[in-house]
Amino acid sequence: MGYETLEKVIELTDSSEALKKRLDSVADVLSHAFSFDQCAIYLYDEDKKIFNLCSLAGDEGGVVVTTYQEREGLPHHALAMDKPVIANMSDADRVVWRGIEDRGMTGFATAAVYPVKDDTSNYGVLYLKNRHRKVLSKRRRKLLDIIALQLSMTIKTQYCISNLTAANAQMRDMQARLIHAEKLVALGEMAATLAHEIKNPLLSIGGFAKRLSRQFNEDAPARLYVDMIAKESIRVEKLLDTILSFSVNKGFELNEEDINNVVNDALAFFEGEFRRVKIKVDRELKPDITPVRVDREQLKLAFSNFFANSMQAMGNGGILTLRTYSDDRWVFVEVTDTGGGIEPDIIRNIFNPFFTTKEDGTGLGLSIAHAIVTNHNGIIEVVNDLGKGVSFIIKLPAALKG
Amino acid sequence: MKKKVLVVDDEEGIRLFYKEELKEEGMDVHAAASGEEALEKLEADKYDLVILDIKLPGIDGIEVLRQIKEKWKTLPVILCTAYHHYKQDFGTWASDAYIVKSSDMKELKDVVKTILNRRN
Ligand SMILES: Nc1ncnc2c1ncn2[C@@H]1O[C@H](COP(=O)(O)OP(=O)(O)OP(=O)(O)O)[C@@H](O)[C@H]1O
Ligand SMILES: [Mg+2]
Ligand SMILES: [Mg+2]
Repeated sequence: MGYETLEKVIELTDSSEALKKRLDSVADVLSHAFSFDQCAIYLYDEDKKIFNLCSLAGDEGGVVVTTYQEREGLPHHALAMDKPVIANMSDADRVVWRGIEDRGMTGFATAAVYPVKDDTSNYGVLYLKNRHRKVLSKRRRKLLDIIALQLSMTIKTQYCISNLTAANAQMRDMQARLIHAEKLVALGEMAATLAHEIKNPLLSIGGFAKRLSRQFNEDAPARLYVDMIAKESIRVEKLLDTILSFSVNKGFELNEEDINNVVNDALAFFEGEFRRVKIKVDRELKPDITPVRVDREQLKLAFSNFFANSMQAMGNGGILTLRTYSDDRWVFVEVTDTGGGIEPDIIRNIFNPFFTTKEDGTGLGLSIAHAIVTNHNGIIEVVNDLGKGVSFIIKLPAALKG
Repeated sequence: MKKKVLVVDDEEGIRLFYKEELKEEGMDVHAAASGEEALEKLEADKYDLVILDIKLPGIDGIEVLRQIKEKWKTLPVILCTAYHHYKQDFGTWASDAYIVKSSDMKELKDVVKTILNRRN
């Protein structure tokens, strides 16, 4: 027993298995090699400030503590002292050693608790227990020292890798969003140019059709045809106006605003219509809310698109709930309707330009809203409750003070 | 005396459409297809109102507006374009009105009448 154990531990900790699996194997090896009844490895959870049992080997019949509080028992003591604790109880029924109570000691006579840490962080403890009193030779203690160090390096490396992976995923996500936003900008510019080119000749077509119409009798067939031309060209004209009224390359005019006012302004436009189709509006707007720096007109346009969609989803009436609140980073606007929600298989498309399920929809509403919110460094989240309704949560960065 | 109106637009169809519509309102309507042509016409003749497109080949409508306001300070100009987003700037450009082009002439006619009556 000695270097083979160490070699084995190093081999196990270096493997490509998941951290938990590696620690399980190490616990197994140690309980045998050092012939302890129980060998446990606890990991420190920095957020919750507790020690969680990660791996356990040996006698599973005995008392096992699954979580220790930050300041509880021998694990805390070992880490606070920054050195191993070898505790020998006078008899196996006692759980207090030198004033330190440890629930895990019930039924055990000897414990060896090794801190797993480095200069900057506590990672956890290696916790060995035996029912009968046990003496650890100096050599064995030295060996456990080295093993605890090896464990701390293994865990640290694993944490670094996890952090890197998370950072990487976050970056990829941001990149994807950027590309999406860029696409929308390019698309917006293209659409605006195209719309302008179409609109001019269309005006002549529609305008002259109207003039021509006046030259026919009410009941002449030609009058019907010409009126149709006029009517249809007005329809296209309106569509082009929607595209042209939203021009992404237009300079933003950012002002500090109370988001409640912007919401109310956008809402004012819909109030008559809401009454007509029996939509009740519930406003839960937080007074004195943190201000946002936004282009008021653009945001009104974004909110209008959410309101219009909700209204269309609640053709037979319903409740539109508008909620605003904030934390220290974001100001939130929640638009919730009772319009039945969105079919899950189309939900990933709803922000795509020209995606629509409506006969007379342009499919531009949400892509415009998305581009506007993104241009404000904001985020839109969708909470879909199929059969009930949908919530769009618009998060805008809180304005910096001063 | 008929009011003399100059329509500036690069689209032939729109020039003709506006001309016909405004003629019916009893105005003497002339047209120019570019900014350069418009300025020439304004030098040669006296007008009561200019209806000006923004997107023009050669010098654009904004520049034409600037030159008009420099030379003929009191001559009213209505900016008329397919775009919406210039609207908030039109005050700073000192035009007298801003109209988004539409086949429905009502808004333009109303504005034209208001401005011409104001001049009386
Ligand atoms: N509140 C909602 N409830 C149910 N479905 C919705 C809601 N909002 C959006 N959708 C779905 O997302 C699609 C895309 O919405 P978007 O606003 O982009 O376009 P549209 O409403 O179809 O067209 P337009 O905005 O021109 O009227 C809609 O056709 C609809 O299927
Ligand atoms: Mg919509
Ligand atoms: Mg033009």
